[in-house]
Amino acid sequence: MEDLILASSSCDTSEEIICAPENVLELFKFKDALFSIGPFDFTRLVFLMFLATAVVIAILYFGLRGNRIIPTKFGAAVESLVSFVKDDIAIGIIGPEGARYTPYLLSVFMLVLVGNLFEVTPLINFPITASMALPLIIAVMTWVIFVFVGFSKNGVSYLIDTVWPKSVPIGLRWLVGLIELVSIFLLRPLTLAVRLFANMVAGHLMLTLLLASGVIFIGDVGDIGARAILGVPWFVFGLGIFVFEIVVAVLQAYIVTLLSAVYVQSSVHPEH
Amino acid sequence: MTLEAAEALKSALALVGYGLAAIGPGIGIGIVVGNAIQAMARQPEAAGMARTTMFLGIAFTEALALLGFVLFFIA
Repeated sequence: MEDLILASSSCDTSEEIICAPENVLELFKFKDALFSIGPFDFTRLVFLMFLATAVVIAILYFGLRGNRIIPTKFGAAVESLVSFVKDDIAIGIIGPEGARYTPYLLSVFMLVLVGNLFEVTPLINFPITASMALPLIIAVMTWVIFVFVGFSKNGVSYLIDTVWPKSVPIGLRWLVGLIELVSIFLLRPLTLAVRLFANMVAGHLMLTLLLASGVIFIGDVGDIGARAILGVPWFVFGLGIFVFEIVVAVLQAYIVTLLSAVYVQSSVHPEH
Repeated sequence: MTLEAAEALKSALALVGYGLAAIGPGIGIGIVVGNAIQAMARQPEAAGMARTTMFLGIAFTEALALLGFVLFFIA
């Protein structure tokens, strides 16, 4: 119990009303490496990232292998997930040529979905998307794709139309161009990464504080007596947030995929 | 002012800053979702399109609140 809940060591249940760790950053760091290969420490987070990748590959492989006339129940569920990403997100947002981007969007959707759901998976209880590495890499890959598509579809006029928009009155053109330049090439990838990261950090923090406080207070009932009743509302509130976080995990995976598709669409048809 | 008092004041100010950063996006998300519900009620057959656009609007509006949340931890 002491190892699982970082807040428990520094929590004085007879004085405080909620257990918080001294430094919240402790909740997101796994200092002890399981083992090291050369300079690379193989921590719990790295292990979870490999686990998420393996889970995604396993779901897609076992769900879609072979040609079946009648799909299995699991196969039908995976197929509906794939066709949701393909028809609703890729083709629905980007247009008919959007089918080309389905593999990328499906990879992002599945990895972020599994990574987010690790937050509410018992014994794992850590969303890998709550470390900045994964959202940032996804945002950078989306950035590279939409910039590359923009230049290859429209040539240099992609950049020129951005900084010198023809539809704006001449006096304001430099200002609008500057705002567009910053917002497209800098703020888009930044907010894409920060949105996912901050949502998962906030959810992990709330769950940790509430559930850990509940467990520690109720567990200390022998020492503090009637004060242990404080743990009950914390725990009940934590369980409510737990259900809410399942919704947030699925919604954030959808939003990251949707926004990636929207950014690619704005490069394919820049006039809109 | 002692160092501890300055530290306490700093974290309190960061909390107030995050609270201020949450006001605008809170109002914005309310407007977005309210209008999306109105659109869905008036035109139920276009509910799917309204829902997608609603999520997009929420995602763009939410960005400012999230920046405030991150700055709260950095400060």
